[in-house]
Amino acid sequence: MSLTLRLAFHPRLHNVVRNFVTSCSKGAADTVVVPKSSGTPLIIEDKWKDDTGAVEDREAWVETLDNSTDSTQRGLIHLNPRIFASYPRLDVIHENVVWQNKSRMVNYAHTKHRSEVRGGGKKPWPQKGTGRSRHGSIRSPLWKGGGVVHGPRAFTTHFYMLPYHKRVRGLISTLSAKFAQDDIKIVENLDMPSDEAGYLEQLCEDRYWGPSVLFVDESDIMPRNITLATDTLGHMNLMPVYGLNVYSMLKHTTLVLTVGATRLVEEKLLYNLDRPDGRSLLTRFRK
Amino acid sequence: MRSLGSVAHSVCRASPLVLRGCGSGAAAGTQHSLTSSHTPTITWTPSLTSVRFRYHSEKLARGPLIRNYGYEEKLWKGGLMPHIDQNKRLPIPLYRPKNIWTERRALFGQNDYIDILGSGELHPTQVAYSVPPWLRGFKGNEYQMLLRKRKIFDTSTRRLVHTSGRGHKSLQCDTCLYFVMVAVGPKLNMKCQL
Repeated sequence: MSLTLRLAFHPRLHNVVRNFVTSCSKGAADTVVVPKSSGTPLIIEDKWKDDTGAVEDREAWVETLDNSTDSTQRGLIHLNPRIFASYPRLDVIHENVVWQNKSRMVNYAHTKHRSEVRGGGKKPWPQKGTGRSRHGSIRSPLWKGGGVVHGPRAFTTHFYMLPYHKRVRGLISTLSAKFAQDDIKIVENLDMPSDEAGYLEQLCEDRYWGPSVLFVDESDIMPRNITLATDTLGHMNLMPVYGLNVYSMLKHTTLVLTVGATRLVEEKLLYNLDRPDGRSLLTRFRK
Repeated sequence: MRSLGSVAHSVCRASPLVLRGCGSGAAAGTQHSLTSSHTPTITWTPSLTSVRFRYHSEKLARGPLIRNYGYEEKLWKGGLMPHIDQNKRLPIPLYRPKNIWTERRALFGQNDYIDILGSGELHPTQVAYSVPPWLRGFKGNEYQMLLRKRKIFDTSTRRLVHTSGRGHKSLQCDTCLYFVMVAVGPKLNMKCQL
């Protein structure tokens, strides 16, 4: 199968990135070069509603976490180019990361006001007569040990909401960037034959999956073995689809998605790209 | 190369007859000789006045000029720094890298897109468990923050356990700020969700 890109003439696809992946041998559309394996080759195609055919689908191997089979590759999956092959907007990714950091930040730094510093209720010396300058309180900001005027006050939040569509675009850009850099691995499911951390570490080592791996599945209840294996490993984490976010995708080197998770993410993001009530989401966040 | 001094000396020592070019080349310090048949020659000893007191040869004899004499250059000669003296610890703190894979750090930002990728019922502010409950989805100045805190906590049966030592001053602070705000005339743009 060739992974070349035909020119996109559709006005909505003017941001599609040129595909620089090397082309494989060209064969018929449905054949998959699968080494000797026990199971039948798995080809997961999908006909998306707005599939114009102007941009070719991206393809990725479907793997297993089971090393005991002949081959770890089970088949092929077609990925929607609007999600996995859009132009990665680095500025939008940056905005998303900044938003994630700031929106939940609470600054607990606190300085005392002149009214809060202990003491300083009495006038230190009379207004006139002494040769000294006039003062009303020993805790005024002019004095050493006095209150701070415009210092930090505890529980300061920097909350704000990034516009809805920017967050959608951030997710899409990050997924596209990661896919372009071969950091997305599609997996059939998260079933593992062993519950040892060492097994998973060795697996990632053999397949050159980065130092940190994020496993994403549809539901938040994960299989027993992988839960036990990743429990002690801090750099390998599990997440449901609704927990996926730009910061985590950038923090972990490799993103491992199950087939179900991939389809769910695609469905959600595609819906949000062209939703009919999009204007209602442009209002400022209130209540 | 003869120095000027030596030239001058030789000139001074030269006989006047030689200088003037008169006489028959007699040696310096000619004397009047009564017995000689010649007519007595008049000798003239010129008055010598020194015109120079410094001579290059003396300068050379003094040697090269020593500059910055007595200047002590403050250079550390104690060896490589930092040096361990009797196993004392260095003045800088030990570097202790943070564990970036603790649960809090590894899963930071986990549910921030739950309104996009979830069912759409939940908003990220509703699942911001690391933020104090009365500040979820809220941003405001100090007065607005205290108002909100009072609205949530003074009416509820559950009281705040830890008020950072400012509980009794909260109301006072509220009213004081209120008078200030009324005078100035602020815009209460409260972005909050209860």
